Order: sequence, then C-alpha cells, then structure tokens
Amino acid sequence: MSRLLNPWGRPRWLVAVTALYIAWSILPVAIAILFAFNNGRSRTTWQGFSIRWFTGATGSVLHDPALQSSLKHTLLLAVMCVGLSVPLGVTLALGLQRWRGRGGGTVNTLMLLPLVTPEIVMGVALLLLFLRVFPSLGLGTTAQAIGQVTFTLSYVVVITRGRLVSIGREYEEAAADLGAPPRDQLLRVVLPLLAPAIIASAAVAFALSIDDFVVTQYLSSDASTTTVSMLLYAQARGAPTPALNAIATVALVITLATLGLAFLVYRRFVGGAEAAVATALEM
Amino acid sequence: MEGEVRLEQLKKLFDEVVAVDEIDLHMPPGEFFTLLGPSGCGKTTTLRMIAGFERPTSGRIVLDGVDVARVAPHKRNVNTVFQSYALFPHLDVGGNVAFGLKYRRLTAKERSQRVAAILDRVRLSGFERRKPSQLSGGQQQRVALARALVLTPRVLLLDEPLGALDARLRKDLQVELKALQADIGVTFVFVTHDQEEALTMSDRVAVMRDGRVEQVGTPREVYEEPQTTFVADFLGVSNILHGEASADGGDGCRLKIGDRSLRAASGETGARGEAKAMIRPERIGLEPHGSDGENRLPGMVERNVFRGGSSEIHVRLVGGDVLKVTAPTDEDLHEGAPVTVHLPADALRILRPDPEP
Repeated sequence: MSRLLNPWGRPRWLVAVTALYIAWSILPVAIAILFAFNNGRSRTTWQGFSIRWFTGATGSVLHDPALQSSLKHTLLLAVMCVGLSVPLGVTLALGLQRWRGRGGGTVNTLMLLPLVTPEIVMGVALLLLFLRVFPSLGLGTTAQAIGQVTFTLSYVVVITRGRLVSIGREYEEAAADLGAPPRDQLLRVVLPLLAPAIIASAAVAFALSIDDFVVTQYLSSDASTTTVSMLLYAQARGAPTPALNAIATVALVITLATLGLAFLVYRRFVGGAEAAVATALEM
Repeated sequence: MEGEVRLEQLKKLFDEVVAVDEIDLHMPPGEFFTLLGPSGCGKTTTLRMIAGFERPTSGRIVLDGVDVARVAPHKRNVNTVFQSYALFPHLDVGGNVAFGLKYRRLTAKERSQRVAAILDRVRLSGFERRKPSQLSGGQQQRVALARALVLTPRVLLLDEPLGALDARLRKDLQVELKALQADIGVTFVFVTHDQEEALTMSDRVAVMRDGRVEQVGTPREVYEEPQTTFVADFLGVSNILHGEASADGGDGCRLKIGDRSLRAASGETGARGEAKAMIRPERIGLEPHGSDGENRLPGMVERNVFRGGSSEIHVRLVGGDVLKVTAPTDEDLHEGAPVTVHLPADALRILRPDPEP
C-alpha cells in the first residue's frame, strides 16, 4: 500500500500496460516479417532462414509477375498521389490562409471532413461517382489516383496550414516591403519557409497511398491495377506462400523509410529554427 | 530634398473599431519623427498604412507630393524595420541584405558593392555568410537596418525596433540609431511606447491616444509644455492639481485649490472655471516648514523613495492631495516631517480640458 501512495514511486501498472500494448502491436508484424525469411512454403512453421521469397527463381517478389506488377502499380499510384495532392494541397492551404471573408470557416471544416469520413463510405461514393457521373473516366489507374488524392489532400492541407500559421504574415510583408511582387513573395520567401511542411506532407501522402486498401480496391479495374495491399487481401485466403510476407515486408520498409527520411529532413529544418531561438535567447 | 510624408485625414477601421481616427501629420524631409503612445493607440497601424500593409479606410498618404494610399507596398519607396526584424531564416546575412536589390537595375558587381558598403556601415563586415539564427539580438537588428537602408529609401519606418533588446543595449543603440539617421539624412518614422526612447532620439514627437494625435512637438515641448493630462502623464511623472481658474490681472491666472490660491503662468492661462494644472516633480521646490511666499503650500512627507541618483518624495498637502517631488538623496526627509512645497508659477501649467468622450 505504501508504495502505491508514494508519489515518487514508478507507476508500475502504467509501465506494465504500456509494455504489454507495445508487445501486442509489434508481435504480429514481427512474426509476419520473420516468416518472410522462412526457408519453406509454410507461413506458420519455421523451416530455417532464407531470402528465397525475396530473390528466389520462382514465386519470389523479384520474379513473380503478379507480385512484381502489384509492387510497381503501388509505387506508381504513390508517386501520382504525391505529385497531385502536394501541389494542390499547398495551394489550397495558401488560399485558405488568405481567405478573410465569409465562408472561410465552412471551407475549413469541409477540408477536415475526409479525415473523419469512414473510408468505406468514401470508397462507395467514389465508385458511384466514377461509374455514373464520369463514366468516360472509368475505373483503373486514373480513378485510383484521384480517389487517393481525395483523402490525402486533407492531410497535406492540415500540415501545411499548421506551418503557415506558425510562420505568420511578417516574412511576406518584409518581402513586399523590400520590393518583391506577390509572385516573388511566394517563390523567394513563403515556399522555402514551407519546405519542411511540404516534405512532411509528401511523405504522409506517400505512406497513405501505399497503405490504402479500401478506396484503391473499389476503384480498381483489372489485374494490372492490383496493389500490394489488394494482392495481400486476395491471396491470404487462397494459396498463400511466404512471398506475401516478403512483399508486405517490402511495402512496410518503403513506408517506414519514407516517414523516417521525412522526419529527419523536417527535424533538420525545424530543429534549425528552434536552435535559432535558443541562440537568440542566450545572447 | 526627398522624404516628405504628409498624412491627411487618415482613417482606419477594423470592422467597426476605429484604429486611426482621421489624423493629420506632417513629417518634413530628413526628420526623425516618432509616433509615441500606449498599445492600441493606433501608432503601429499608422506606420503599417505608410508601409502599405494596411489599406486606409479613407484619407491620403502623400509621399513627396504623390498620394500613395492605394499603391501596393512593393511599389512604395519606403522601407520598414520590423519589431521582430523578420529576417529571412533561410537566407544568410548577405542574402537578406541583397534581397531587395534584385528589383533595382544593378549589375552583380554593383549589388555586392552596395551590400558590402552597408554592412560596413552597420559594423557587420565579415558576417555575410552567417545565418540570422547565428547572430545576437543586436546584430539581427543591425542586419534588419542594413537590409532596409541598402535600398536607399526616402523614408525608413521603424516599428519598435529596440523593443526586443535588453535595457543596456537599447541605450547604446538609441544613440547609434540617432547618429546614423542624422548622418544619412533619411526621414525616420519611429514607433515606440517608450517615452524615454522618444525623447532621446526624436526631432519631433506625436503623442497618440485612441487613434488620435494628442500633441505634436519637439521632445522638449511635449515634455515641458504638455497640453493635455494624457500627454503630461504619459511623458514621465507629473502632478495634476484640480482647481478653479480665474483672472489674475497679469498674463497668468489664479488657480484656487480648496482655500489656497496659486498663480499659474504657463499653459492655457486664459482658462476660466474648473481647470487642471500640471507640474513636474523636478520643478517643485522643497523648503523648510514655515517658509513664506507666493505659491507655497504646507505639507508632510509621506514617503521617501530612493531612486539612485535622486529621491522621490511624496508630500501630502493639507488639503489631502499628494505631490511627487524629486529631491537630492542627501536631504534628510524622514516620513512625517513637516515641509513646505514651492510650486513656481512658471512651472505650474494649466492644461487644455479633455475632449468630451
């Protein structure tokens, strides 16, 4: 009892619950990754270490045509998604920042709507949109890219606006004061200052696109538009081999690497700014 | 000579709130002009309208004879030193200073010469490759100054540029900035809420309150001859006396306070009826108890506040009012000591009545 009452004691229960949660969330992923390196066809019985499911002559990530095509398509969609949602999202964020009249608040709320809409609802809605309203566009790669942009855009806008708010208007005013026309205020001052947010939102959009299943699945057309996540879903109940674990591992590594890189770059930029504040205070 | 600013009936509304209320000001070329007032008085909004960041609701901003009230900020030949400096963090000192030169027709050589010359001027030669984050507050302030001055503006606008610095550095920079301004002869429009700063540096000061100009004059005028209670109060410590003004026969007037009558020889001596008078603490004389003569009042020391170079003595008059008096520290004036205060007639100033709110 006395330990429980001791306010300086370690909160043992919290530590235990946290550790348990971390183990529970990491364990399945760890096991899945482990079996990607299994030297046999089983995904449940360990038969020794090998990288045959990554680079082997048959059925591996490197040589199986279905796996190859899904990986390529996933990356293609991710690049398209980043390429469309980042410029659009940054433009939207800049526009919303300057929107001073009525309706600004409404648009703000609407921008956040895709973040809370259940993905299945958005998937069905987009499917109907492409089938009924824009049948000429049809399903397939373009539809999938547009669908992914629809919900990643909100993340880009939210991240960029956060940075815009912290930058404030003063740098733009300073640029204008020094003679820069509006175009140069944007290119020479605002965009360089937004760089960390742009990099971060690109990484988030990339990761979201790779991970997405529901919307991408709804808007797919044929086998050539199958992504890694769709392949995993379809084959998990069919004739699964550790090649599925291998390709999932590849997707996971790409996602983590992207996010890690973005974090490092972001910290370099923003960390620099924080260091600046610290130095200024010391002086 | 260029650099004349004339504000005519300048007004700014934010929604329904009046920030600047139809002010008229004239800043002749080469003047160090200060807008002084408490926060919310409209001084910064006025400066931002001259810079072009805020659009006036009505009125004119005449720069060297041309109304620029509707001209975009990047097309005005005025430059600003921001309160937070707003140095571009992604550019080094050289990049910051050269930023605006891109919009002048200059060769690369002329540009780098100008940058070098202005950095030399603000004693920052050799700092070209440093990032703003690697500079001290005072150095950042000088980069901000160089970045604006390299464009040889007709008018330099300064928005509390010393506000973020510590007290000692402020004092040094006040003198330095004033010397720089006198040297280059550019019109400075300086915004501050610090009365001492305003008095030290300015050629003329406009004291602002609630979007209006209360008084414009040289530092000596606004300090020694304040026209309103607000100006008297805002510029240093002042004693305000309430009384009844009446004619005196001469060029002064009599001010009746309770059963005492004082002669006041400065300010609005034509005032009659209810009036307020002001006197600075350093103009009040302290005399031994029982001294006789014109404008002398008996009182009692209530408090003796040590101020370093001098003491501030609070004297309670017989009528109940408390006067603050500046006295040398060596005077032995303990609490409760009876004294006589002398309010010289030429230092007792009748104030203009406050406008009806």
